[in-house]
Amino acid sequence: MNEAGQTRRPGSRFHDLLFSQEGVLLVILVLSVLLLSTRTDVFLTVDNLLNQGRLLTEIGLLALPMTYIIITGGIDLSVGSIFGLSAIMLGHSWQNWGLPLEYAIFVALLTGVLCGLVNGLFIVRVGVPPLIMTLATLALFRGMALGISQGRSARGYPDWFLELGAGEFLGVPNQLWILVLAAVIAAFILARTVFGRSLYAIGNNELGARFSGIPVGRNKLLIYTFSGLMAGLGGYIFVSRVTTTRSDMGTGHELDVIAAVVLGGTSIFGGTGSIAGTMIGVVLIQLLKNGLALTGVTGDATIVVIGTVLIFAILVNNYVQRRRSGESGAGAA
Amino acid sequence: MEPLLRLEHIDKSFPGVRALVDVQFDVRPGEVHALLGENGAGKSTLIKIISGVYSADTGDIFVEGQEVEFSNPREAQSRGIATIYQELLLYPELSVAENIFMGHAPRTRFGMIDWPKMREQAVEILSSLDIHDIDVTRNVGTLTVGNRQRVEIAKALSQNARLLIMDEPTAALTEADVQRLFGLVRLLRDRGVAVIYISHRLDEVFMLADRVTVLRDGQYVGTRGIEDTSEDDLISMMVGRTIDDLFPKLDTTVGEAILELRGLTRRPLTKDISLKLHAGEIVGLAGLVGSGRSELAQAVFGFTPAESGEILLDGRQVQIRHPGHAMNLGIAYVPEDRGTQGLIRQMTVRENVSLAILKTLARGSIVNRDAERELAQRSIGQLNIRAYSTEQVVNKLSGGNQQKVVVSKWLASKPRVLIMDEPTRGIDVGAKAEIHRLMSELAQQGMAILMISSELPEVLGMSDRILVMRQGQLVAEFARDEATQENVATAMMSEAATEVQA
Repeated sequence: MNEAGQTRRPGSRFHDLLFSQEGVLLVILVLSVLLLSTRTDVFLTVDNLLNQGRLLTEIGLLALPMTYIIITGGIDLSVGSIFGLSAIMLGHSWQNWGLPLEYAIFVALLTGVLCGLVNGLFIVRVGVPPLIMTLATLALFRGMALGISQGRSARGYPDWFLELGAGEFLGVPNQLWILVLAAVIAAFILARTVFGRSLYAIGNNELGARFSGIPVGRNKLLIYTFSGLMAGLGGYIFVSRVTTTRSDMGTGHELDVIAAVVLGGTSIFGGTGSIAGTMIGVVLIQLLKNGLALTGVTGDATIVVIGTVLIFAILVNNYVQRRRSGESGAGAA
Repeated sequence: MEPLLRLEHIDKSFPGVRALVDVQFDVRPGEVHALLGENGAGKSTLIKIISGVYSADTGDIFVEGQEVEFSNPREAQSRGIATIYQELLLYPELSVAENIFMGHAPRTRFGMIDWPKMREQAVEILSSLDIHDIDVTRNVGTLTVGNRQRVEIAKALSQNARLLIMDEPTAALTEADVQRLFGLVRLLRDRGVAVIYISHRLDEVFMLADRVTVLRDGQYVGTRGIEDTSEDDLISMMVGRTIDDLFPKLDTTVGEAILELRGLTRRPLTKDISLKLHAGEIVGLAGLVGSGRSELAQAVFGFTPAESGEILLDGRQVQIRHPGHAMNLGIAYVPEDRGTQGLIRQMTVRENVSLAILKTLARGSIVNRDAERELAQRSIGQLNIRAYSTEQVVNKLSGGNQQKVVVSKWLASKPRVLIMDEPTRGIDVGAKAEIHRLMSELAQQGMAILMISSELPEVLGMSDRILVMRQGQLVAEFARDEATQENVATAMMSEAATEVQA
């Protein structure tokens, strides 16, 4: 007996899967791909798709920790700047400090970790809201990148270094393997571990999570630091792909990343979301960009289409989810 | 007299549940009609039908003898039906006047909001309710809960409400606010407004209501004039049996001291607290709201760690820096506010019950869902939680069942010391008795329980020993047989009382 007696109706497995956040998105993705492939022959080819996989890796890597962060109700606007700063530190420590390139890669990753740690410490210990803190470091880290590089770019990387960005393994771009591996691990951690569960609990009710003995501060510190690490890794992969470093690398990445995460069904208010959804979001945006470009749509129009699809996908998903869970509560909002 | 509102043969089902079966109800102008029932008895569903949130599957609704059908809350409002929910629906960042006139503000002839007129009318409405101490330009967020509620009532009246539905209005109020609210309700009644009053507190019902209707398991049990019934009568109507003993305190053998505090201090509300908790003992911690009881509990639990003083477990000094520490040491805390502190309401029963001990249940750091489900299933059985399944979202449970989920969560951590902060606030008689029985049994099995409660009968009924706090200090201690309502209340208030006189 229950007064507000609705609960999930147990449907068939397939039905549940199809009408989950991810299922709806997947349908939209498949429809988009089918539509685009009728417009141009080049789009739906293995070569093109693999190449797109190469191009979306950096955004994909940034989107993993961003999913965690948004699930806890936070945000990290500084990822694009950390990405750029890490790239600059790679080139700078190699060419100006004379470090071996292997160490320079380590410097890039370390830069990312430290930047993320700074964000996390201020957010957790000082209590600066994530939006404010990372907005500040968005400017700060970018400024540092500009200052350190003095506007000069670093070139002339040896071939072994460029292998990661340009080479392939078993016919698949090298970096795509890294992304797939990272995504699988990230998805597993989020869905299956105690740590993952704690992120959902924090996002739904941080106070309640604290009262349940969950180390809220430590876990938040971890995810912002993880975000920095992935930005560092992304920066490294990017340099390896484009064979040069410039201080404006990664500018605006934060918005692409957040768009992909939110498109993937993660609530900007925290508490829900999944890595699978995020990955579909990343792929959808990249394929739309590519497909539209191939059909001869201009850059401006592409952005308009992507914005429209984003809104459309979110509306459809909201509609489906609401239908699924039934009306909840007396909404006077 | 012709009833203002009459419902006949109301049926309402949700998937899997028949929430209301052939229910009748009516309310007359100038009458306070109390609606009573346990968790899940159908009270909320019934008022949601009256206020247009749900529509009934079958049955008829009449307003002043005329049959109506509400397809949304606005239609009910236009018939003069206003509902004041437990969670007040005000805008904290807006002023009192703006809240009162939300959606129907007076306009100037240019179509702009007529601010002076709005303030003037707001003052008028408030003074017509005999409310003179609320500044209409203040933000609602800065008002006390009691005052916010009065604003909400004023808002309802500004829309010419003739029927006011109040869902447990006193759950979050202090005693003084309760008295003022009662004054207000009586004023409205004398003016011919009909009031439907939902409460778990029988004493309130007897103070306020003219008639009482009882629901049980979605069925109509009966309606009584208040002078024709008694507390025992109503309780047996609600639960379908007589509760002989509202506080089933079992005898226990008090053992060794488990927890000892020595000079525990955390300013401003925990000052030099020393006490001992023994195995098998329920210690009641009484005090006024704001006397520092929850603060003490949270210092012991490590949520706001103590600044100085010692905490000893089994005679050994321990450091408790955060709730995780306390939990590992066998201390559990069932917090005061289950909605914001105790539960993650959007998560399922399973996820809530396992939340505190997820690590213990896990293999490595991977969540063990089978163990989780098993735990949740066991809790549902043990505490008689009325949920469909372990996968039901906690938000959809009624208050008493939500509280049982919180208690389950902490019992799962197998504590030796259990601190319960207002364990039965805002829950119905049946669930209350169940939680009391559970506390007794746990004490009998050797657990040490510290119970914070603002309800004196509960403190007196359940405790082996009673401690009283006032302004952050322990000021009195009573053994079970020497405590009376009078001497405990005096200890709680004595200084406050002298202050008022001075």
